[in-house]
Amino acid sequence: MSPLDRLFAPRNIAIIGASPRADSLGGILLHNLAGFRGDIYPVTPAHREIGGLACYPKPAALPEGVDLAVILRPAADVPAIVAELRNRCRFAIVVSAGFAETGRGELQEELVQAGRDAGVRLLGPNCLGVFNPARRLDTFFLPADRMRRPRRGNVAVVSQSGAVLVSLLEALAKMGVGVSRAVNYGNAVDLDAPELYDYLAGDGETTVVLAYLESVGDGRRFIAAARRLAGRKPLLLLKAGKERSGQSAAFSHTGRLAGRYEVFSSILRQTGLREVGEFEELLDGAHALSMQRQVSGTRVCIITNAGGAGVLAVDACMRGGLEIPPLPRDVQEGLRLLFPPFYAVGNPLDLTGQVRDADYGKALVALGDHYDAFLVIALTGVAGVTLGLADILGRFKVETSKPLVAHVAQGKLAGKLETLLAKSGIPAFPTPERAARGIMLLLGGEG
Amino acid sequence: MKRAHAQLLALRSAALGRGSCLEHEIKGMLRELGLSVPRGRFLPRGQPLPETTGLDFPLVAKVAVPGLAGKSDVGGVRTDLRNHRDLARATGELSAIPGAVGVLVEEMVPAGVEVIVGGSRDPQFGPIVMFGLGGVLVELYRDVAFGLAPLTEEEALRLARQPKGARLLTGFRGRQPIDLPALTRVMVTVSELMATGLVEEIDLNPVTLSPAGAMVLDAKLRFRDMPVEAAHNPIKEERNMATWKCTTCGFTKEGRCKPQKCPQCQSKGNFEKAE
Repeated sequence: MSPLDRLFAPRNIAIIGASPRADSLGGILLHNLAGFRGDIYPVTPAHREIGGLACYPKPAALPEGVDLAVILRPAADVPAIVAELRNRCRFAIVVSAGFAETGRGELQEELVQAGRDAGVRLLGPNCLGVFNPARRLDTFFLPADRMRRPRRGNVAVVSQSGAVLVSLLEALAKMGVGVSRAVNYGNAVDLDAPELYDYLAGDGETTVVLAYLESVGDGRRFIAAARRLAGRKPLLLLKAGKERSGQSAAFSHTGRLAGRYEVFSSILRQTGLREVGEFEELLDGAHALSMQRQVSGTRVCIITNAGGAGVLAVDACMRGGLEIPPLPRDVQEGLRLLFPPFYAVGNPLDLTGQVRDADYGKALVALGDHYDAFLVIALTGVAGVTLGLADILGRFKVETSKPLVAHVAQGKLAGKLETLLAKSGIPAFPTPERAARGIMLLLGGEG
Repeated sequence: MKRAHAQLLALRSAALGRGSCLEHEIKGMLRELGLSVPRGRFLPRGQPLPETTGLDFPLVAKVAVPGLAGKSDVGGVRTDLRNHRDLARATGELSAIPGAVGVLVEEMVPAGVEVIVGGSRDPQFGPIVMFGLGGVLVELYRDVAFGLAPLTEEEALRLARQPKGARLLTGFRGRQPIDLPALTRVMVTVSELMATGLVEEIDLNPVTLSPAGAMVLDAKLRFRDMPVEAAHNPIKEERNMATWKCTTCGFTKEGRCKPQKCPQCQSKGNFEKAE
């Protein structure tokens, strides 16, 4: 059992600053925790009970053995609240803002000291806290009707920024990608990225981790933890603040070229860690890696029913350092006999607008052993592509451990076909380039 | 690493009083640490040019000015000196540059692939090493990569392969591949100097790579306890800079603080504010 289990799967939660009012933070939190699998202890001097839950007048009145407290009180009150939690509580999420991020460094120091003295591990301050759909744990102060939550799944999201975390989770929900854990650590006075990465490395429900960062405190400690995590499961890092920022006052070329971001990015690359370039790439990565396993390889086969989309996919793969090798001669001859003479038998394999669903299956069977990954483009505007394609691709997927992604935009069937493909564990992307990026991420290379 | 530390302490004790390190002192240290530098000789200002320097022509002459960042910017470099007369003229002209304490004369080195190996301190990662292609043009191409100091041989090799232009190292378009072990030796040495915690910035630039060796052509170094202004620019651009004059020999120096010892006549405590 990991020491952070009780943060992500607490048996009970105290809400410090609870309220019956639906428009207050405390009220929203109680509402969001309605399905929580465990006890809830509202803490407020103003009420005896809220929604049938008995209230505690102050933190010191809480029973012992509280796993998690969520603190929603004004910043100035927080150190004293943490002190009251001594011997009662393991973890406290400090949602309150108004610490170092607004220039109140001394108050933040006070908070750190209070946590240390009380033996309470702190997440935050200035953070949203944690989300664990399997436990119906949700400490976000965003009303359920205003922020869509993703379903339960295998993707963990770790974010320094609360707003970016919310945007990511909503985008994942919309894509139908499920989440195992989500956490926003804000000012990170105690629990920070390295410790959370170590937890996620050992978390059995998480198979891929998306991380958003703005700064890393101790770079070497960060890199060490990120490497430990990336050694266990794919880790996609998005770092904000990429502007060139060399120390212009330096007297050496080295000092002038050693901008914070340049150094960070270069060291990531050298230690084999994967930095993604933009928000969208995190989403594409989550989409692909939540459904399929990362494997090593560089040889991609593209099967398409549209020449142009096929070429765009080739270009994107090549930019990413992947290869699109020609078909082996014997396979090429075999396919020529199998297909009508106007199909362009090569890589990409262009099945043209005359394609039938079954042709994709025949092609995959013939080519399956000769490539590391497959990118299937099936624009659904033509009559020969039907919903039956999902079954055909799904059958191939069951028999192979190799990555297979699809691009099925266009036409009225596209949305339905994407849903069916997702059920078969095949991610479909809205553009050929993003499908190529999905392949790159699955092949563990540079996007 | 221990050797790097000891060598740095020796260099620092020579340099701190002056406020900066001179090229020949840094190169002397690098030679002690096993790196290749051109054969050369430092000629202190005010001493007559010897009949023979013991070096083979053609030679290059470079002015030594404490705290000067770019010698070329003040016309402080003379190349392709073919004979003694060339050398005498060059040393005469260079000695007249304000602040000159001497001239470094070195044998010219055949051209090769020019790279930079440097080090600095990062607020997040501490001591780091930089490797880049382009030598003196490095700030134009910005084709550089960074690693954590100290580096192992293997990490240095990985760092060497990072820049886009790294193919130049392994024999691009019929050229002979360069001496990679010699390059990684330079990188590891710089990383060990940085890892001592004594150094703020170091530039070995350019380092010329050939199929048989890596030669450090120019070197700059600033200790952590050395103010950047002292090592930066000899031109008085900051309000609180002053000109200090040695009352014994007349040597002058720009700086914030009064120098203790005169680098020219070695007398102590004889500086006065000029103007």
